[in-house]
Amino acid sequence: MEETCTISEEARDEHVVVSVRGEVDVDSAPLLREALEKAISGRSPLLVVDLLEVTFVDSTALGVLIGAFKLCRTEGLAMHLALVEPRILKIFEITELTDLFSIFPTVEEAVRGRVTGDVGDDRSDHPV
Amino acid sequence: MSDVIELGFPVNADLVVLARMTAATIASRSGFDVEEVEDLRLAVDELCISLVAGGKDGRLDLRFVRDHDQVEVVCTYHPANRSDGTWSRDEALLGLSGRILDALVDEHGVEDRGNHRKAWLRKRRVRQRA
Repeated sequence: MEETCTISEEARDEHVVVSVRGEVDVDSAPLLREALEKAISGRSPLLVVDLLEVTFVDSTALGVLIGAFKLCRTEGLAMHLALVEPRILKIFEITELTDLFSIFPTVEEAVRGRVTGDVGDDRSDHPV
Repeated sequence: MSDVIELGFPVNADLVVLARMTAATIASRSGFDVEEVEDLRLAVDELCISLVAGGKDGRLDLRFVRDHDQVEVVCTYHPANRSDGTWSRDEALLGLSGRILDALVDEHGVEDRGNHRKAWLRKRRVRQRA
């Protein structure tokens, strides 16, 4: 059964978590773009995009995430993804976006990735 | 003997789900395994959105042909008015679509037929039926 996309935002201390559920496609991608741009405008040092309960992404959704990543980089902010579903990870691997994004298996680890500084955010050589 | 299933709908972002659902149902009923069903579902989505990309009007017609071990999908986009600039496409997103299609299906392609544009794919079933 196809699931409607829902998006929520939670501010926590010095970071903000945007949680996405359901299917992100050409129809719902504008909602994601709007939510991410709003979150970035708050200028928290770290934006975590929680994709743990996303069941479908297409190239439109990937384009939105890439756009948000570039905007974060321009603003000097970090953006991490929480993502563990193999079917969704497969799409990131196919498109080599695992080389661009810092991807963590939980939201907590995505947040800690910022704290411990164990993730390289200088991935500007990706072709997209 | 092939089965042919046809689906047509106006170009609206909220209707692309119809193409995905139809693709998944046909693949599932054709003995594709879960991963292959998901591959075809995403591939048909990419076929539709890359064909229409930037278009806001017109019609999409899909033709699914099911043979004993493969599904072929032909997607035809009939823009309402080609001079409206509905053919403008984001090259970066098309690049992503192309990579996804390369990885998920056996063959795919695009044909420009003047007043309409056609994209197609074929995906063969790997697992044999019991």
